[in-house]
Amino acid sequence: MNGVVQVKPGTHSRGWDEVLPVLPANLEKMIARLPDHILARLEEIRLRRDRPLMLGAGGQDFFLRRDGQPDSIPESAYITSGDDMEKVIQNISGSSVYALEEELRNGYITLPGGHRVGLTGRAVLENGQVKTLKYLSGLNIRIGREIKGSAAALLPRLLDQPAANIHHTVIFSPPRCGKTTLLRDLVRLASSGVPQLNYPGRTVGLVDERSEIAGCYRGVPQMDVGVRTDVLDGCPKAQGMMMLLRSMSPDIIVTDEIGKMEDIAALEEVFNAGVRIIVTIHASSMRELTNRPALKYLLQLNMIQRFVLLGRSRGVGTVEKILYGNEVMPRR
Amino acid sequence: MIKLIGAILLVSACGYAGWHVSRSYARRPVELRQFMTALQMLETEITYAATPLPDALSGIAERVDARVSSFFAHAAKELQTTRGTSARQAWSAALDRYRTGSTLDRGDLGILNSLGHNLGISDRDDQAKHLRLTLEQLKMAQARAEETASKNVKLWNYVGLLGGLIIVLALY
Repeated sequence: MNGVVQVKPGTHSRGWDEVLPVLPANLEKMIARLPDHILARLEEIRLRRDRPLMLGAGGQDFFLRRDGQPDSIPESAYITSGDDMEKVIQNISGSSVYALEEELRNGYITLPGGHRVGLTGRAVLENGQVKTLKYLSGLNIRIGREIKGSAAALLPRLLDQPAANIHHTVIFSPPRCGKTTLLRDLVRLASSGVPQLNYPGRTVGLVDERSEIAGCYRGVPQMDVGVRTDVLDGCPKAQGMMMLLRSMSPDIIVTDEIGKMEDIAALEEVFNAGVRIIVTIHASSMRELTNRPALKYLLQLNMIQRFVLLGRSRGVGTVEKILYGNEVMPRR
Repeated sequence: MIKLIGAILLVSACGYAGWHVSRSYARRPVELRQFMTALQMLETEITYAATPLPDALSGIAERVDARVSSFFAHAAKELQTTRGTSARQAWSAALDRYRTGSTLDRGDLGILNSLGHNLGISDRDDQAKHLRLTLEQLKMAQARAEETASKNVKLWNYVGLLGGLIIVLALY
């Protein structure tokens, strides 16, 4: 076979078996025939109407042949049909497309188990705003991974021992480096506590705008985010942080992918209330981070004490660098 | 004596047959009305709550009259248990099962069946349009059914009884 895809065996939790049932029977069979070590690292299933079926595992993508073998050239790959797409959408929506209007507007759907399906198609506009999508032509099924213990090694570096709390932390990395997975486990540990570290666990307020961290299905977290975690699912970050601050008296507020000025303004309020934060940011380096005006402002507040850079030099979710607040002084 | 018993049996049998026919005329508008109520509920579920079909259908099954209820319960079950069933398939399977023992005629069933083609495949506004169209059509069918019922119910009751009596008189 030419172009064998090499994926190292890993010890990840399953997840693909929760996702496969949304696929039509023929695709499900083809994918389930993949070798176990690929299945265990399966990250993405990309369906594009009338184009080759692609899978992503361990940071690489490859095509799937009709006989269920991975291949690196598209010629012999299985071509996703319109019928396949329709069946997937039917399975995802419970045959009720109208129930997904909000999701179609946002461009993604969360499945039970916390997996995400991204959608593209033709946008239908109303007053210049996207109202919904029709003629769906692209689906990206991202398998959410719960890797318990992935943040265990990191946690001691983030603990503020005298206060028995977590330092204000920013986790940043380029896309697909395991930010969300790491954040999820960090939330779980911060909320449930780690007796070995003398850390009792704190009340965590989680604003999960894109339902990615807790993977809520109908408001109930599908992933383990700890015993003291309150989740505001699908809520805009800035608004959600203020709501949690006012109503749930959290010790730590956590949110994903901040970057807008309003997010930073909300964070300022959180700092003032004496509540700790853990947030993630899309950026591949410290310089890239400081180049964005909103984030530069955040740094100038001089509140963040830990910057964690993730990469994939030793696999997804490698902690490349941890910077302390006093090492990072942005140029004014 | 035996003749008398025979006569009574004959008259009551013919009377029953007539009543049976008349009842099916009387029941059709009732069934149509029940469907209209149920579809109105479905419209509310879809447009206001955006409840997914399996939940919406089983919710309606709990709130409507027994016969129509079995239709919705069956459609919901079909959607929930068989993976990959489309709303259209579930709807027409439920309708096929409902057909036997129903007083609805082919036209009525056709109206309901064509709703199934559009169920669940578009956004809320569009769903509401299709449901309203179906309700309009059912309303007309129901008006026609009332009319035929008012003509035929009494007629068939009399036909049955009087027919029995005529046969008895002829044989006596």
